[in-house]
Amino acid sequence: MASRSTCQSLRSSLRQCRPTCEYAGSISSRKSSIRQISATASRLEVDWNADKSERPRWSYTPEEMKAPYPWKPQSAMKSWTTNSDPQKLDRFYVNLLGEGGESVLTDEIKWLAITHKSFDQGRRGFNDRLAFLGRRILTLQANLALVSSSTATQTQTPRNPKDTRARFEHPALNGLKNLSDAPIGEVLTKERLATLAKTMGMAQIMRWQPRMPDKLEASGIDVVLNTCLYAIVGAIALQRGGAYASEVAKQKILKPLGIS
Amino acid sequence: MSVRSLRLERWSGQLLSAPRTRTRSRAPCCLRQGQQCLSGSNTRSFSASAVSRNPRIEKEFVDEDGDGIGLFEAPTHPVQQEYPSPSPRAALRSSKLAALHARLGLPQKLPLQTVARTLVDPSADSNVDFNNASLAQLGGSIMSYHVSEWLLVTYPRLPMSVLFAAAYAYNGPKTLQLVAKEWGVDTAAAPGREVDPGYLQFEKLAPGTDYAAIKAAGGSSRPDKFNFFRRGMSSRVVYDDEFGDTIPKKNESALPIPTESAYAGFVKALIGSIHLHAGREAAKVFVKEHILSRQLAIDTLFQFKEPIRELSRLCAREGFEHPMARILSETGRLSRHPVFNVGIFSGKDKLGEGSGASLQEARTRAAVMSLKSWYLYSPGKNERVPSDMEAPGEKAAWEPVHIDIGEVIH
Repeated sequence: MASRSTCQSLRSSLRQCRPTCEYAGSISSRKSSIRQISATASRLEVDWNADKSERPRWSYTPEEMKAPYPWKPQSAMKSWTTNSDPQKLDRFYVNLLGEGGESVLTDEIKWLAITHKSFDQGRRGFNDRLAFLGRRILTLQANLALVSSSTATQTQTPRNPKDTRARFEHPALNGLKNLSDAPIGEVLTKERLATLAKTMGMAQIMRWQPRMPDKLEASGIDVVLNTCLYAIVGAIALQRGGAYASEVAKQKILKPLGIS
Repeated sequence: MSVRSLRLERWSGQLLSAPRTRTRSRAPCCLRQGQQCLSGSNTRSFSASAVSRNPRIEKEFVDEDGDGIGLFEAPTHPVQQEYPSPSPRAALRSSKLAALHARLGLPQKLPLQTVARTLVDPSADSNVDFNNASLAQLGGSIMSYHVSEWLLVTYPRLPMSVLFAAAYAYNGPKTLQLVAKEWGVDTAAAPGREVDPGYLQFEKLAPGTDYAAIKAAGGSSRPDKFNFFRRGMSSRVVYDDEFGDTIPKKNESALPIPTESAYAGFVKALIGSIHLHAGREAAKVFVKEHILSRQLAIDTLFQFKEPIRELSRLCAREGFEHPMARILSETGRLSRHPVFNVGIFSGKDKLGEGSGASLQEARTRAAVMSLKSWYLYSPGKNERVPSDMEAPGEKAAWEPVHIDIGEVIH
């Protein structure tokens, strides 16, 4: 490694041959908060109403990300339109969450929660992370509901007659057998959740791009419906707290599926 | 002395009517009982009346009177029963278990018998009332919920692949094995009734078993009959488990399992048992202290394929000026070991810098640094998590946390 004096002399000689980089400032002039990536203020979803001239992010693809002209012929078979009407979306949320459902989530998150990765090649964001959290919440609430369900405890399967051991009895452990009687993998299946989402009207408002618009089942509409359902629960948890999200999961998803 | 004068048949009969005992530890009170204990130790049966007749004894005691008391009647006490796991009462006598309970500072409401149950894997004992399967299912969902919410609140911009990897690093089976070993939990060589309840009991795999092949042979829960379909990241949220790994279809719980799965099942079951006996907050505190307190160098989990392109797409999406790489400083350009410090700028803001032995390497490292500084944005390590609102008496209103729209697709 060259010594400091050698470096300095090298640098000074280089400076004479090359134009100085005006941005090569000293490190101390850098901002102390290393999390700032830009000098412009970060976008807060709640501030959108103040700035009416800017379009909301959910409604357009950033111009910089678009190619100057489309170089693939637009096939009529592959064309697929999705909802872009905010009122239709609001009606879906009111239908799902009840009165005042359209103001549970902020505007951007309302759209993000029902946007799949296939929509617009992922340029307007997608709901994977929200669905990741939402699925954890739903699984946990399903397990807790089964353990504390009195109807399931009353109708538990009888024990094996050959095994006459006396198990350890405790009131807290009474509901444990319900978890093995009703395996979660058979109760919360992809098909059941997809059917529930369709009855809510999710298929008409979610934003995605099917591989074959004339064959939605083969394009995986069930997976997209599940993702959007999980994502709504996850979004509510991050914007309204875990208690609210658990209630929504229990009342709006588990109860219609028969777990309470 | 003749057998007759001693009336040995009647003498034994009186002794045989004594109260039965289930334990083998009770000393035999007569020769006949003692020999039955010795001869019957090989039987394995669950039936209540395990009888073993020793023909040698029958010859010695001949019914000379013909009373019909008959050849000896074997005791009906089930001394020879071989249950696959220790009885719940044995948990109260185990010093290992009591020491584990005290060492972990488990709540007093959690009884030793439940802790003993958490140490029994379904491969050791298939009876659902005696193994930890249900407890592990409940505890696993509690733990993965707390880990995922903490990760999403602390690192809101993590890409999905890194999120899965971080979740695996915090509560995957290998980590849980480390955690349980740190707690001082040892495994029993083989499950059985005589095993001390403080040992982790499960059926061990034979050395050299290809467990991955066994798991893969059963097929997964995905409908991928034709394996040429690419298994994308988005569909993992619906089809796969919390780490993005495929869930095997066949779930035979009686088969042998690897040690890490057994340890993972134990830790999850312990969390489930704390939740049931001591409440939700106790389980959350336990997860926070033992799982979420671990250090993870999350920046090492990233792997970028084309960082320069990804950074350029990110700036285009966010509306930043197009990123430009500029040399900040350099030395030894014509020597054998040049060092170039390159910074990537969006307008006047420096997004990241990196150094390397060539201009290309330095630019790539700078792009990687810029992307990491974007994806690893964190509002802080001790932010409020959604489950804080589920605590009783929580008065402060919930502040919405930052939700990122997703990683850059390029």
